[in-house]
Order: sequence, then C-alpha cells, then structure tokens
Amino acid sequence: MFVYEKKLQYPVNIKTPNPAMAKYIISQYGGPDGELSASLRYLSQRYSMPYPELKAVLTDIGVEELGHLEMVGTIVHQLTRNMTVEQLEKQGFQDYFVDHTAGVYAQAASGFPYSAATFQVKGDVIADLAEDMGAEQKARVTYDNILRMCDDPDVIDVIRFLREREVVHFQRFGDASGAG
Amino acid sequence: MSDKDNCTYKEGPLPSCAPLAVPMLAAQQHSEPAYESVDALTKGTLFPGLDLPFMDYVAKGPVEASPLTELMALDFVCQELALYLDTHPNDAEAFKKWKSFTALAKEGRRRYNEMCGPVQRGDTAMFDGWVWPEDPWLWNGRKAGKK
Ligand SMILES: [Fe+2]
Repeated sequence: MFVYEKKLQYPVNIKTPNPAMAKYIISQYGGPDGELSASLRYLSQRYSMPYPELKAVLTDIGVEELGHLEMVGTIVHQLTRNMTVEQLEKQGFQDYFVDHTAGVYAQAASGFPYSAATFQVKGDVIADLAEDMGAEQKARVTYDNILRMCDDPDVIDVIRFLREREVVHFQRFGDASGAG
Repeated sequence: MSDKDNCTYKEGPLPSCAPLAVPMLAAQQHSEPAYESVDALTKGTLFPGLDLPFMDYVAKGPVEASPLTELMALDFVCQELALYLDTHPNDAEAFKKWKSFTALAKEGRRRYNEMCGPVQRGDTAMFDGWVWPEDPWLWNGRKAGKK
C-alpha cells in the first residue's frame, strides 16, 4: 500500500523555460536508466527476495525512486511551462510538442517510449542485487552527463541532489549483498 | 585479523576472506559522523563518507529556509537512517537517532500542516473542509509552496 505525500523530497524551483534541456532530462523519467525503471525494478524484485533486509531495502529504495520520478517530472514540467512557440521551435522541441504538448510523457531522450525491457527481474538474489548496483551506477552516470550539458543553476542543484542519491543507494545495495 | 579498526569514515572493511564470484563492496561501518539535517538535505546524504559529488558540483548554499524545507530536512534524515538501518538492523545507536528524528519530523509535519496545509490526505481531518485538492501541489514550485 502506498500513501502519497504532498511534497517533493527536495525543492524544485526553476524560473527559466528551456525545452531543449527538458528533452534530455526526460530520459531520467522514462529512459533506460531512469527513475521509473529504478522503482519498478526494485519494487518488482522484492517478491522473490529471501531475506528480510533485502525486502526492506528494495521497498524503501523503490519508494524513494518513485519520489525521484516525481522530481524529474517536476523538472520537465517547470522547464516547459510558459515556453513560447519561438522557444520550442528554436530549441528543436517540435517533435515532442506535436505529440505531448507541454505534458510529461515517459520516454527516453531519443523519444523512445518507456519500456520495461530496460530492467530485469531475474528472481535470483545475486543476479538481482548485482543488477541493482549496476543500475545505480548507470543512473549516476546519466546525471553526470546531464550536469555536463546543463547551464541553469536551478536545474543543476536538483540534478546534483538526485545524483548523490544514486551514490547512497549503490552503497546500500552493496551493504545488503554483504549482509546476505 | 581485519584492518576494521583502522578504517576511517570514508572507508569500510571487506571480509578478510571473501567468497569468489560474489560482488563485494566495502561496508559502511557506522552511522556517524553525520551532517546536521539541513546540511544533509542540501548535500543529498546524511553521511560525509558517501558525499561524493561530480567534479566541483557542490551545493552553492543551504536549501532556502521555510516550513516546507524544514520538514523535508527532517524527513530526509529519517529516510537516510532507515536505509542504513535496513542493512544495519543491529545498530542500536542509529535506531535511537532514527526514533528521535521521527518524533521531530512528526512535529515538523504538524507545523507545516498549520501553516501550509495537509501533507498526507489524512491530515485534512484537522481542517474545516476538504482542502486536500487545494495548492500547494509542489511540482508548481516555490510560488505554490509558499502560502
Ligand atoms: Fe537510485
């Protein structure tokens, strides 16, 4: 069961529309190493986990990833609300706009719609935990890459926070592997 | 003998004899040292040993103070300690700290309720009417967050 909290994990307050930036950041919403994949991966792997610590850590990290999904959706929303037709044309946002207007759709930066093929549930403790550690590193690199391209301090601040969470989650899955 | 006692908070021990073909990561040993709550939220971790930013991308300053960020910071410490406790369930000191932060977060939530509205739907019971659908919905940003 889930209970919604009407707050973000970390504040997101973006002042300047930037559809070009939204178009690559959306990959952490519905892309291969994004937050939707992360949450579905962990919340789905729980069922076949044999140890209580692993059930707990997958539940608690999986739920936090849903909070990150909401934060990335918020970034995309704030980067595209109030954008002008000139901005979206100049920044190459037409292909997204024609299908989704200023809505937030789960897709990769390439435009490929979200796919559950981006993660696995193997039903095996070693295989699944090894995937989870890899997944955290891949998400971390995606945020590194976003930081490399991003020049809006309001956005950088949030991406920096989300990236640090991947470092912490990686450590927790590592701690869990040792304990198991 | 392991070098366990010589590890700093930025390091952790590996088992002295680890099984082959199993992924291993040096284990975090203690829930201390730890940042203060607003600092922890700002940095994205409670633990200085895990605070590993990309290049020089560090926070420019603490998150702007408000009833909301105060609650966020307390909830964040609870989350960090909970993840730590999931994998270190026998750390009595961390459990004690989690308990005290859970109490602080509960108070923080009441303060936020009084100033800004419900956090969970059930909080709406302390109001005179069904205010749940009203702003702030936080994806709208600061303008909606400040009432
Ligand atoms: Fe993560």
